[in-house]
Amino acid sequence: MEKKSLWKKITGSREASLVIVLIVLCALISIKNPSFLALYNILEILKNNAVIMIMALGMLCVLLIGGIDISITSSLAFAGMTVGMLFKNGVIHNTFLGFIIAMAIGSACGFVIGLIIAKGNVTPIIATMGFMYIYRGFAYLVANSQWAGADALGGFKDFALESYLGFGVINNVLVIVIVCYIIFFIMMKWTKFGRNIYAVGSNAEAAEISGIHVARVKLAVYTLMGLLAGLCGALAVTVYASAQPNMMQNKEMDVIAACVIGGVSMSGGRGSVGGALLGALILAVIAKALPLVGIDALAQNTVKGVIIIAVIVLNVVTQRMMDKNNLERREM
Amino acid sequence: MAGKSGRTIDATPKDVWKKNILSWEGMLVILFLLINIFCRCISPNYTVANVLREMPKYLSEIFLLFPMAYILMLGEIDISVGSTVCLSATIACIASNAGIPFPIVIVLTILTGAICGMVNGCILVKFPELPSMIVTLGTQIVFRGIAEIILGSGGSVSVTNTAGFRAIAGKIGPFPYIFFLVLISGVVFIVISMKTMFGRSLYAIGSNSRTSFYSGIKVKKVKFIVFTLMGVFAAIAALFLTSSLYGANTTTGNGFEMDAIAMAVFGGIATTGGKGRLIGGLISAFIIICLRIGLGQINMNPQVILIILGALLICAVLLPNISSGLKLKKKS
Repeated sequence: MEKKSLWKKITGSREASLVIVLIVLCALISIKNPSFLALYNILEILKNNAVIMIMALGMLCVLLIGGIDISITSSLAFAGMTVGMLFKNGVIHNTFLGFIIAMAIGSACGFVIGLIIAKGNVTPIIATMGFMYIYRGFAYLVANSQWAGADALGGFKDFALESYLGFGVINNVLVIVIVCYIIFFIMMKWTKFGRNIYAVGSNAEAAEISGIHVARVKLAVYTLMGLLAGLCGALAVTVYASAQPNMMQNKEMDVIAACVIGGVSMSGGRGSVGGALLGALILAVIAKALPLVGIDALAQNTVKGVIIIAVIVLNVVTQRMMDKNNLERREM
Repeated sequence: MAGKSGRTIDATPKDVWKKNILSWEGMLVILFLLINIFCRCISPNYTVANVLREMPKYLSEIFLLFPMAYILMLGEIDISVGSTVCLSATIACIASNAGIPFPIVIVLTILTGAICGMVNGCILVKFPELPSMIVTLGTQIVFRGIAEIILGSGGSVSVTNTAGFRAIAGKIGPFPYIFFLVLISGVVFIVISMKTMFGRSLYAIGSNSRTSFYSGIKVKKVKFIVFTLMGVFAAIAALFLTSSLYGANTTTGNGFEMDAIAMAVFGGIATTGGKGRLIGGLISAFIIICLRIGLGQINMNPQVILIILGALLICAVLLPNISSGLKLKKKS
């Protein structure tokens, strides 16, 4: 077989076209507004979108096994709200403990969803729709018509301002994002669990026959998603310095959109960590750039929606062209 | 001989009564009666007159159920409905305030909804590779975004010219017009789905879209019509919603899509397509409405009501799966 040239390899991969989209976007914006590419601005964008970027990793796994999870922001609110109230009432003072509690709550939420989907054979969209109501309700019950503001959170909110995890150079929140991406990159590429996820997503039946416990993989993936949602609950509380029961409501759609823009297939089996990262970055850049290039605040959602549709349509068109090219090569 | 649709080609007659009561719809009727008895027990105000008085504000959501059930039968999903309701309600309010005669306001509103539905249908027909979940996610943002642009910086509009809206909120005896309209359109939709070629082709496409295409069903045309129908009924729901709220804002119709899907799924319509009957959806819609009215009357926290509804939804899908799982175990 003839070896693919480097050029073909680059133009043939989905991530490459996304990188080009991202670069063109950034270039266009910085022509209009040079301050956009300042280091401070970039770090600020990354910090404010840390929650979406981390949850995109979990959603990547969920979409890879052919599922979907629209309850994530409800689990996030439940975990974040609980931690916020614990700090407000002075039950805990340790930042680290706050993160552990949020992650434990998130994992528990995800585990229950996983049980219903994997063992109860319920369609993911329905199961997670039910839990979207339930966990959001829990968040409101925990809040008990109160909320935790900046002064109530005390030392916890300083986590997002300091950079002791990044040796004083990189913000704590960014360190967590980077660590998550490194772990997931390694996990999805080189571990048995990661490859099992791809196997289940490509063909669950074949995976089952070849000895993979499909139900167990599904359970693990939804628990992992819950764990990340819990982590993001704590992160959201520190980044925005407040805990409210309605926090991040409807943002699950942004997470799904980030994955889909990044080329993750909704029917499972196709997608990568790099794609999820690029998708989340493109969304973040668009959201930040629209006011900078002078688009009216009222029109921003419309433009965002149109761009999402345009990108996914573009994805389909390039996929069709790639398939056609492959077919032509085979015929020769 | 049971296919994916769950119907058998078994010609032996069964005990009709036993069959009807043991079917999902039979269970729902029993549950409906139980819920009513339960609500009567917990709330002394739960009388026929009071329920009918509170019903109109919930009834407009049932309009969304009928076409949503068709969409689910096709194996698709539409999460942009809430935004279509928002946009149509905005147009209705503004057109009415501009002094346009009410019949033309109705036409304009329905046209708005139809265009929204057509946009969804068009994209899905042109790019069949795209899952409807993600396309309607994009249009969800766009439609609400357009409403935000129209509503301007205030974000809300109230109806000053209320005559027309007051007219459609009228009553015949104790029954509001909308009650009859819901029942009539319910019957029409049920008959279409059971007795006409169009209705049967919905089930065929939902069971297997490719075989239906090869057997001569115009899959694209059916899909386009159903999504347009969804837009039209979203506009009708918006008209009646405006007639009880006398205004619209950027959050109008938030979460309506989830309510409509929940009603359909609770009624036994599978999201995977090709399965379920609309009559079940209609009964479950009334179950949910009665439960909401009853629990609302004893001043239960609305979040707790959401938790109960979420749990009911999951149980409704989980129970048949568990019972069929147990049967399978017994057999083997």
